[in-house]
Formats: sequence, C-alpha cells, structure tokens
Amino acid sequence: MKGIVAISVLGVLLAVCSCRNNPGESGEFILVNAESFAASVNPGAETVEEIYRNLSSPLEIANLFQVMGVPFSPGYLASSIDANEQTTSFQKALFLGILGADLGYLNMYEKTGTAIELVSSIKKLADGLNVGQYFNFETIKRVSLNKSNIDSLLFLSVDSYSRMDEYLRKNNRSQLSAIMVVGVWLEAQYFSTQVIKQYPNNLLRERIGEQKYFLDDLIKIINPYCDYDREFTAMCGWLKDIASKYENVKIYYTKGEPSSSEKDGRLVVTQTESSMVEMTDEQLARIIEITGIVRNKLISK
Amino acid sequence: MKKYLLGFLLLWPALAILCGQNQNDPLVSRCLQSTGPAAKYLKDFRIQLGQGTSQNLFRYKANMSLWKNTRYRFTLCTADNSKGRLILNIQDDTNNVVLSSVDGKTGTVYNYVDLICNKSGIYQIFFDFTEGQSGSGVSIVSMVQ
Repeated sequence: MKGIVAISVLGVLLAVCSCRNNPGESGEFILVNAESFAASVNPGAETVEEIYRNLSSPLEIANLFQVMGVPFSPGYLASSIDANEQTTSFQKALFLGILGADLGYLNMYEKTGTAIELVSSIKKLADGLNVGQYFNFETIKRVSLNKSNIDSLLFLSVDSYSRMDEYLRKNNRSQLSAIMVVGVWLEAQYFSTQVIKQYPNNLLRERIGEQKYFLDDLIKIINPYCDYDREFTAMCGWLKDIASKYENVKIYYTKGEPSSSEKDGRLVVTQTESSMVEMTDEQLARIIEITGIVRNKLISK
Repeated sequence: MKKYLLGFLLLWPALAILCGQNQNDPLVSRCLQSTGPAAKYLKDFRIQLGQGTSQNLFRYKANMSLWKNTRYRFTLCTADNSKGRLILNIQDDTNNVVLSSVDGKTGTVYNYVDLICNKSGIYQIFFDFTEGQSGSGVSIVSMVQ
C-alpha cells in the first residue's frame, strides 16, 4: 500500500512539474527577453523575429474596413477550405494562416457564432502540424459562444497563433511558420483588394500600396525555402509575381514634429509627419487582379 | 488501496485546472480590461527586468509596424511587486522620438498613451521601469475607433 501511495505522490509531483515547465503552455512571464533568447538559440533569428512582428495584422485591415463603414461580407472568406482534406504540411500551414486571417475578420465584426466552425477547422489543421496544443481551442470556443468579451477573444486568438508560430520556428520547422505567415498576409491582402473594388477609398488604397515594403519582408522570410519542394517553389514564384506589380509604386515621407496633449488622464500624441503612396489606377488594378488569382488558386480544390 | 487510487484520480482534474489557469496571466487579463470600451486588442508585450545600472537607457526593445490613419492606444500595466513603473518610448526608423509615456518637464508618468499615427512604417518600441528599477509589466496595444 505504501508503494501505491509513493507512486501516487510521484505521479502528482510529475504532473505539477510538467505543468510548470512546459514553456509553450505557460502564460507566466518569461524571465529573459524573448527576443534575445530566440537570437541566442538561432543566430539570425532576431532579424526573422523582427520581420514577423512588422507584418501587417488582418485585425488592422478589418479595423480599417469598420472605420470606412464597410459591412461584413461572408463572401470574402475562404469557405472552400476543408480541414479534413489537406495532405501536405505546406497546405496545412498555409490554410492555418488563411483561416487565421478569416478568424480575425470575423472577430473584429463580432461574428463570433459563425466563427465556431472556423475555429474547429483551425484546431484540426493545427493538430495536423502537431501544434494543436498551442491553440487554445476550448477557451476560444467558449468565449466565442459567450460573445461576452471581444477583446479577450482577439487576445486569445492572436496569442494562440503567436505560440504556434514560435513553436514551429524554435523547433526547426521555420519553413512552415513562414508559409503560415504568408497565408495570413495573403488573405488580409485579398480582403483589402476585394473591398476596394466595391468601396473605393483613399485610406484603403494607401494601405494596399504600403504593402510594398511588407511584401519585400515576406519574400525575405520565404526565400531560404524556395527550393525546399515544388509547393514552396511555386509560392515563391507567386509572391514574386505580386511583388512585380508593386515595382513602380512609390512611398514618400514628409517631416514634422509630433504634438501632444492630455485628455482624461491619457497622453494623446498626434504625428504631423506623414507618409504618402503614389500608385496609379492601372497599378492598383493589376495588384487586385494578381492577388485574386494567387489566393484563389491556392484555396481551390 | 482503492481509497488512494480514488484520491489520486480526484487530484488529476484539480491539477489540470491549475495548469489551465497558468495560460491566463492575471496581469494580462487585468490590463486587457483597462484599455477602454472603444479599444480593440492588437498585440501585447510582456516585460520583466531586473535592477538596471543606467537610468536613461531603455532595456527592452521591440519593433512594430504602425499604420497611417490609425489611433493606437498603449496601455501600460505594472505588476504590484515591481519597484518601478512601466514606461514606454517610441522612436521611428530614424531614431526620432515619437512619444514618451513620461513627461520630461513635469515628471508625470502616464499609464495610457494614444498615438494618432500619420506615417506608416516600422517603429522601435522601448520599455523599461522608472529609474531603471526592477519590475514586471504588460503593455497592451489596441486600436481605437
């Protein structure tokens, strides 16, 4: 009987230890600067980490749509993706990214009930890549059904994706992380280019033009894997096709000093320097066209 | 023997709950709740620093893209056991200071800073604790409509 007690105690202790030492699962503070740690594990990783942080978020694109007064449209979503049918890791990672952007779009418009099916597909794809443990499925599902706190839902979704992405990069599967990020960017770019066709707007037009710089970063991320296999080679080609349509798009800056004021105990700083995009209608039309072709080719069955 | 096995089995769910709770940092949750009703979560930074040697250099640095025509809110939350208060400094790609959460003239430390961004680009986000002291904190970046 004493043996059983000892085994039980040992089991409990092991459970506690494994619970505390699992870095992916813990939400506690990281004792060292995460960026420095990544850099020390993998030389050059700091640069990659910076690029990841700099890519535009689909949440910001959806936020812009809301500022413009664009209504929600399910037609923009990649509804043809079937999480049960993906065979290669490339497809799983790509669709994980595309559906992540779709989830951000749904959440920003508070279509949380509709998002449940999408969340289940994301979980399946994440499981298929063995990163399902980092996607906080049950909590996201519960908060989605509750509709109680959109901010928490946005946090949980973004946090889950960051954890999956970080795990892939730190476990020598950076090629999948790269393709997932490409998926997120491509889908957000698809949203923008579809919306501007129906709702022409200068703010959105500028945002599409500004993707020039971020597309360059995206190509930097995926470039090391262009010869990895046929799927990666094709993706590199498509991104370069999109980049070629941006070739003559120009971005200018004007100088100015920021001004600040205090309102309700908050400091409010307004930038007076600004950026401007020079892009012709023809250039925009070509960007819209190529984005649609690439995105639809990737999600078609 | 059955008693011990039963006790052991009963402990498992409790441990699972404890593990699950670790995923939700209470400071992050608290900070999320204080961003304001018009703010929508974008990303967060979690900072933990020991006692520093210099009071002027920001020790935590990250890069982040900010977009024109967007109002960003940086909510700064400091853990109770910290010696200093979490502070923020943002610089553009040419190292020009865009904002600081500390008013250099009055010494006021702000926990909420809104930036009305008019220039899209990559910005350097610096964090530290007042006077280079030790502390832990969270900064939530939100978009305000």
